[in-house]
Order: sequence, then C-alpha cells, then structure tokens
Amino acid sequence: MVIKIKNLVKRYGDLIALDHLNLEVQKGEIFGLLGPNGSGKTTAINCLLSLLKYDKGEIEIYDTPMHPEAYEIKKRIGLVMQNVAVFNELTVYENIDYFCGLYISDKQKRRQLVEEAMDFVGIKDFRKFTPKKLSGGLLRRLNIACGIAHKPDLIIMDEPTVAVDPQSRNSILEGIQKLNAAGATIIYTSHYMEEVEQICSRIAIMDKGKVIASGSNDSLKEIIKTGEHISIEILNPQNLDLDEISDFANILSVDLSGSQLTIKSSRGKNNLIPILDLLKHRDIQIGKVFSEPPTLNDVFLEITGKELRD
Amino acid sequence: MQVYKAFFKIILKNRMQISIYLIVFIVLAVAFTASYTSPVSTDFTESKINIALINEDEDSVFLDGFIAYLTVNANLVNLPDDPQSLQDALFFQEVDYILRIPDGFSQDFLAGQTVSLEKTAAPNSTSATFMDLRINQYLNTAQTYLNYGNVVSQYELVSSLQNDFSNSSSVTLNSHTDESDSAEKMAYYYNFMAYSLFAILILGVCAVMLVFNDSDIKKRNFASPLKTLNYNSQLVLGSLSFAVLAWLLMVALSFIINSDFMFSEKGLLLILNSFVFTMSALSISFFISNLVKSRSAMSAVANVFALGTSFISGVFVEQVYLGDTVLSIASFTPTYWYVKANNAITSASSLSGSTLTDILTWIALVLGFGIAILGVTLVLLKNRKVEAR
Repeated sequence: MVIKIKNLVKRYGDLIALDHLNLEVQKGEIFGLLGPNGSGKTTAINCLLSLLKYDKGEIEIYDTPMHPEAYEIKKRIGLVMQNVAVFNELTVYENIDYFCGLYISDKQKRRQLVEEAMDFVGIKDFRKFTPKKLSGGLLRRLNIACGIAHKPDLIIMDEPTVAVDPQSRNSILEGIQKLNAAGATIIYTSHYMEEVEQICSRIAIMDKGKVIASGSNDSLKEIIKTGEHISIEILNPQNLDLDEISDFANILSVDLSGSQLTIKSSRGKNNLIPILDLLKHRDIQIGKVFSEPPTLNDVFLEITGKELRD
Repeated sequence: MQVYKAFFKIILKNRMQISIYLIVFIVLAVAFTASYTSPVSTDFTESKINIALINEDEDSVFLDGFIAYLTVNANLVNLPDDPQSLQDALFFQEVDYILRIPDGFSQDFLAGQTVSLEKTAAPNSTSATFMDLRINQYLNTAQTYLNYGNVVSQYELVSSLQNDFSNSSSVTLNSHTDESDSAEKMAYYYNFMAYSLFAILILGVCAVMLVFNDSDIKKRNFASPLKTLNYNSQLVLGSLSFAVLAWLLMVALSFIINSDFMFSEKGLLLILNSFVFTMSALSISFFISNLVKSRSAMSAVANVFALGTSFISGVFVEQVYLGDTVLSIASFTPTYWYVKANNAITSASSLSGSTLTDILTWIALVLGFGIAILGVTLVLLKNRKVEAR
C-alpha cells in the first residue's frame, strides 16, 4: 500500500474541509481525485504531505505514519502544485536544479537528472530562460519538471493542467502516463473529468470533504442508473409528444430544451432505434443525433444532484 | 546548500537596486572626506594694529627711537588732534588705539622719573592689551638699561634697544590637527555608513525573504526532505554572509581612504562598532522582511527606515545640532548609539577610563537592540508557523 488515509478530519473554524476522509492508493496506480472546486482535494493533499495540521485521523505513506519530520518518506515523494511554485530569479535549469538538489546531493547525478527532466517535459531549449519569459504552458511544464526531476516513487499532482492550452495539456497527460509506465505511483487531482477519465486507473469522487464514490472509470459508471445519453436536434418540435418517448422501455428521463431533445436511458441494447422510428413515423424532422455512454459528470450529478462544474 | 546558493542568486538578480546605495555611499563618502577642511586654523600670520599717535613732546633721539619702535609694531595712522575726529576713528575702527605722548615725557623718563602715557582704546580690546604689552616691554627694557647698563648717551640706549627688538622668533604651531582631521573624516565616513548599510541590508534581505516566504515556494520546500533547521540555518547563513560582505566592502574602502588612522586603536574601535551595528541592522532587516509583503513596500520601507533613523540619529546632521525631543526619539534606534559611539571614539583625546567604558556601553546597547529585535522576530515567526499549520 502506498497511501492509506483513515477518517481524516480537517476543520477551518466551523467549516469542515475534510469529513472523515478515507482513501487507499495502491502501488503503480494513477489515482484520480475528482471533485468540484472547494471539495477538499487540495486540503487532502496538504494534509497528506503534513503541510497542514489536521484535527483527526491517520495517514500512512509506504506503511509508515506521515508527519512533518518524516524525511525518509518525503525523499520518495514528488510534488507538483496547483500554483506554479518556481523562483522567478532563477533560470529554468537553476530552478529544476534547486528543487532536485533538495533531494539529491550528488552534483553529477543531479546534473543528469535535471537534463532528463528538461528533456521529459520538453523545455530543454529554454534552459537559460527565466520563468517570466515562458508561456503559460511552458511554465506548467517547468513546474512539473521541478516536481519530478529527482525521480520519485510517488508523485502528487494537484491540478497541473489548470489554465493550460490543449496542446500542452495533452503533452502533460502523456507525460504522466509515461511516468506511471516507468514505475511511479501518481495521485492526480483535477476538476476536469475528461482528464481523469483519460489517464486514471482508479478514481475517487470528492464532494464536501468526503469521498462519495470510488473505483475504476467503468465501475463508477456502473453504479448509476444512466447507461446511455441520447441527444437529438429536433427541427419541428411543435409536433413532438414527450410522453410517447417516455413510454419506451429503459427510458429514465426525457427533456426538450428549445430544439434539443435529451434522453437518458438505462443500460440496454437498441435504445436509440425505436425513438428514431417514432420520430420518423410522426413526420418529425431531425438534425444531429448523438448517443454516448455516461460520463463521470453523470455519476456526480446522479449522486449529488448537481453538476461537477457547478 | 541549495537554499544558500539560491539566496545569493536572488541577491545577484537584485544587484542593480542594491548597487545604487553602495555607489551613492562610495561617491558621497569619498567626496566628503576628500573635500573636508578642518574648522581650526592651521597657519600663522603676524598682523599689526592701527594706532593714532599724538606727540606733544619735544624731539629727542630717545623719542625718535620709541616712535620708530611703534612704527615697526603697528601701523601709524595720521589723524588731526581733535577729540571728535579721534573718537570717530576709534568708533569706526579706523584705529584700535590712540596714544598721546605728553610734553616732557622723554626728559622725565631719561631722568628716571615716573612717567605715564595717555591711551584711548575700545573697552576689552585684545589689540589694546597687545599694544600695552609692547609699549611696556620697550619702556621697561629702556629703564633696565638706564638703571643697570653702562649707557652714556641716548644714541647708545636707542641702538641697544633696536638691537634687542630686532630679534624675531619664528612661529611653529604645534597641534593635533592632522590626527583630529583624520578622526573627523572617519567619523563622518562611519556615521554615513549607517544609512547605506541599513538600506542595502533591508533591500537585500527583504528581496530574498519575499521569495522564500511565498506560500507556494514555502510549501514545496517543506514538502521536501530538507530539514527545517537546515533550511533556516542556510537562510541565516546567507543573510550573515551578505551582511558581512557589505560591511567588509565599506570597511575596506575606509582603509583605502586613510589606512594609518584605521590601523590605530581608534580605527579598530570604529570597525568593532560598525560590525556590531551591521549585526543589529541585519536583525532589523530580518524583522522587516517578515512584515513586508511586496517589492514596492520593500523599497519604501528601506528608504523611509534608513533615511528616517539616519536623520534623527545624527548621521547627516551632527547630534549636537538636533533637538532634545528628536534625540530622545532617536535613542530608541541603534543608529543613535552607533553614531554616539563613533563620535566619542573619534573625538576622544585618549581611549581609556570612563571614555572607553562609555563607548563600550554604547556598542553593547547597539548589540542589545539587535538581540532584542531578533528575539521578537523569532517569536513572530513561531506564532505565524502555528497559525499557518
């Protein structure tokens, strides 16, 4: 077991930031912590790293209790923070060397690791640049390089793709998968469900300081009723009778908003065909049609009654 | 030593701002010490006073000799013998002394009788006293010749007197002006150092601490295996190194300006005092760096604090010219005691006894300020750490 969090409670006055949080992370996982802003993800990370005192609970990393003086455990951890935490006065190379040097004292080994880290995130051409001269995407890559240069066993990434362009985001996500393939266990927090779905082997969905659901991407989607998400553009909606659609088997909900018809159905084969047949029979003209499996947003919506991005 | 190295890299990035204070200090200190002139006169020029002579006596060889003597020792001004003209000349300082030689003066003097000369001069005039001495000296010497010498004629008497008074003495002023000049120059230099050191240390230490106190950088450092004690020690060592480097640079310059004085006992005491002050200023800079939250605030505090304490403590204007209230307020800053000690060191005729005790007490006070403020800073940091976690 890499991480074991048991009944973790953190209060800020009357506000309960973490409410008896329980988590377990296995070796080799990319573990996603998904939740809206303010759900307690960063607080959990700060408690995990002993950067924040907590009121109750136990935290073990590599089967050893975690505390501020647990330097042997800290040696095995890499941290990529939500905000870019680098020195504006140092160059790209000097920044990575500084943070790597907090873990690795051997100069020669460090030089090699810094080069590898720059290579890994693709900022070798900018080694002499100061952070102020880097674009947002490059800055994020530097932030990652500073956290992973010492090749840690456990990498904690707190929303590393916030405010990053799509190209850099894809590059970062690919990098994370490469790190995992190289043997690192990764904890990845985000409020972007697509990212979590894309790279995480196991996911915990958090809300109000609690884990409300956890499991693999597929298993999480199985715990909700929604099995299919159908969207149809209706060009003459005045002829449409929603009750007729609701009467079909497996249909959970039908909603018409303007010309957009949204249908949620439970798992089952051929949910879409009978609906399209009905529309054709009633001379209803249709535009675009989409049929998608449920997303983690649907999971969150069904459990909490609110959108993940609210 | 990652933190220590980063400390100096950050200092180097701020070198322009810090250098400005150093350059201003060097230029001003060198310019002031080079152009310094002592208020004490160091040369001697013989001068003569203006006198008006009214002669009512009959001509004689002795009288001619006496008038010739007066001509050598004073500037004779011709004035009409009327009371109004004479008083006006005295009032308007055309003459400093009016001498009237009465009728029968020479004859009575040579006969050994008691004689008197009439004089008019401004009250308490030193020039008049000087002239009195000169005239008495001439007449007393003549009297001595007449009483005890083998003088047979007025020619011989006048000749002897001329011979005696023709001897002149060369004047050499023996004083400590060279040494006191150096001391005053160095007092000015070391007093001015207080301003520059304060500004440089506040700017340097604040610039670094602003970066290391950034919450994200702090978190990243504390998440690493770097022990807190090690981290703090590297920051303290960096601050100390920076302060000592700045101090050494300024002290080295004082040796270039006047190495003879700096190798003296007084010079070494100035160095000790400035070192203790540097430590105290560092402690205050460290305190300020934990209060300041932005770079603009950092520059403002550096200017206001360094200039303010320097003004009220006698760095730019001597303490004797400052009011009691100002000095009372200044006594709550280490700069005041530092300047006081500098002035005492350089003005002391000898460094022993109570003078030395006073100087060492003031140096100890400067050190006390440093220790007290460091203590307050540590308590502040401890409370903040507890609040943060």
